[in-house]
Amino acid sequence: MAIKLSKIINSWVPENSKVIDFGCGDGSLLKELFENKQVLGYGVEINDIKIEKCIEKGIPVIKLDIDKGLNDFMSSNFDLSIMAKSIQCLKNPDLALNRMLELSKRCVVTLPNLGYWRCRINLASGKMPITPELPSSWYETENIHLCTIKDFENLCLKENIRIKDKVFINRNGDQGGLSKINPNLFAVEGVYLLER
Amino acid sequence: MKTETKLVHFSEGIELESGEKLNSFDLMLETYGELNEGKSNAILLCHAFSGNHHAAGSSEDFGTGWWDQLVGPGKSIDTNKYFIVCCNNLGGCAGSSGPSSINPSSQKIFGKSFPQVSVLDWVNSQKMLMDKLNIECWHFVAGGSLGGMQALQWSISYPDKVKKAGIFAAAAKSSSQNIAMNEVARESIRKDENFHNGNYYEHDVIPKNGLKTARMLGHITYLSEEHMDSRFGRKFQDEGSKVEESVSFEVENYLQYKGEQFSELFDANSYILMTKVMDSYDAGKSKTLDEALKDVKAEFLIVGFYSDWLYPPERGKEIQIAAMNNNIKSSFVVLQGDHGHDSFLFNSETYSNLITNFIES
Repeated sequence: MAIKLSKIINSWVPENSKVIDFGCGDGSLLKELFENKQVLGYGVEINDIKIEKCIEKGIPVIKLDIDKGLNDFMSSNFDLSIMAKSIQCLKNPDLALNRMLELSKRCVVTLPNLGYWRCRINLASGKMPITPELPSSWYETENIHLCTIKDFENLCLKENIRIKDKVFINRNGDQGGLSKINPNLFAVEGVYLLER
Repeated sequence: MKTETKLVHFSEGIELESGEKLNSFDLMLETYGELNEGKSNAILLCHAFSGNHHAAGSSEDFGTGWWDQLVGPGKSIDTNKYFIVCCNNLGGCAGSSGPSSINPSSQKIFGKSFPQVSVLDWVNSQKMLMDKLNIECWHFVAGGSLGGMQALQWSISYPDKVKKAGIFAAAAKSSSQNIAMNEVARESIRKDENFHNGNYYEHDVIPKNGLKTARMLGHITYLSEEHMDSRFGRKFQDEGSKVEESVSFEVENYLQYKGEQFSELFDANSYILMTKVMDSYDAGKSKTLDEALKDVKAEFLIVGFYSDWLYPPERGKEIQIAAMNNNIKSSFVVLQGDHGHDSFLFNSETYSNLITNFIES
């Protein structure tokens, strides 16, 4: 059975934490964290329809382009910041990571793994990867900074960011099997808890 | 839509922020819909600079309500579900006590002697009205521009009396540029030969030209460059001009017409007083905005508009950041809005949905 991101994050979030979710979509994750952990959560989203849905759920939301607005929240003392499936869309993922660890004690980052074997096969056949997780063609994708699990962990090392915990998701959406043994080859997604 | 218009008298008077006192005063108000048994469906709408108590529907004296696009049966702020209150603010000229009303102690028109009021005074007088209407807590207090400042102040002054606040195209304080624009407007009125130092009523004249120019300037600040370009462009006015003075561009005719119309309806002393209310507002007062919001319990919906250069979205973001620093459940959304600062008055699908979702969540 596919594991939900909220379930993974749940164990990383203390009760009543103050959380900010960059690229929060319709606010589902924050809503679940509110229900399970009574977090005070703020979402950041750019799409008006998704923003309407957040407000409908009673989830506070800020309309903002993450690339431009990460500096705005430096004074708010968050316990946790979340960036799920968005970091590869940013102009400066490395700066974003550092900012997130300045504005919150810890951060959760999830990213698609370009090292996944299907992506490698695509590339080996001379084409940009198109997989269920990365469905868009190169010319229309928002993913401008894709990386592998290995690349990401190297970046963390270089930036002195500590990987406090990590979970790898395989193509079935769960944590089992080969993705545990060789995540860089078999995981479609990495979920990280980071701190400095 | 069940609508009631009434004048409420407050014989107890009110102590003003300035230290002065009004021994008694009247507030003109309009209500829409019905208060439910639990008294949990009351909404207060606060009008902007030159607005009045007539927020929705159509009236003989005031035409279409200033927020009719969003307030009414089945609309974003639904009069079938909520009991909605809107009053003309103290110092105004649409029925509430103001410079153009009679001073009960002297039986003469107040004129310039009407005391300077403030956003806080407005909120305090609205609180007195709330008590008279037997409303214990507003489900929602909202307004745009100067109305948004009142919504913000409500949440600061009476944290237990406001569940949700809608702060639209507003700021926690006016900028130096805002004050500068208002000063040009005031100067234009003061320099009108018919102003007579504010006592023009005694001379049976009104400083029409000054007020007209003030409004023309104000009107420019309410619109965006883009909106004016798309609406008027560089089109020339046709022969059917609505004003007599020679005007060549359509935008000139428009401003002449709007200024002319306004100068016949609005009181010049009220105009000066209202600009002063706007200029002097500072939610933080001597403290920082962060400190000012420390006791707020209400949830916020802050909306700004990209085309608004009078209170640009950045001003709303300042409130949002201070709200987040205080762990207030606050949302901040910037919308396209085609009408510059005035965008808060107009319906759009997203704007309307945001407000409805916020009230109902």
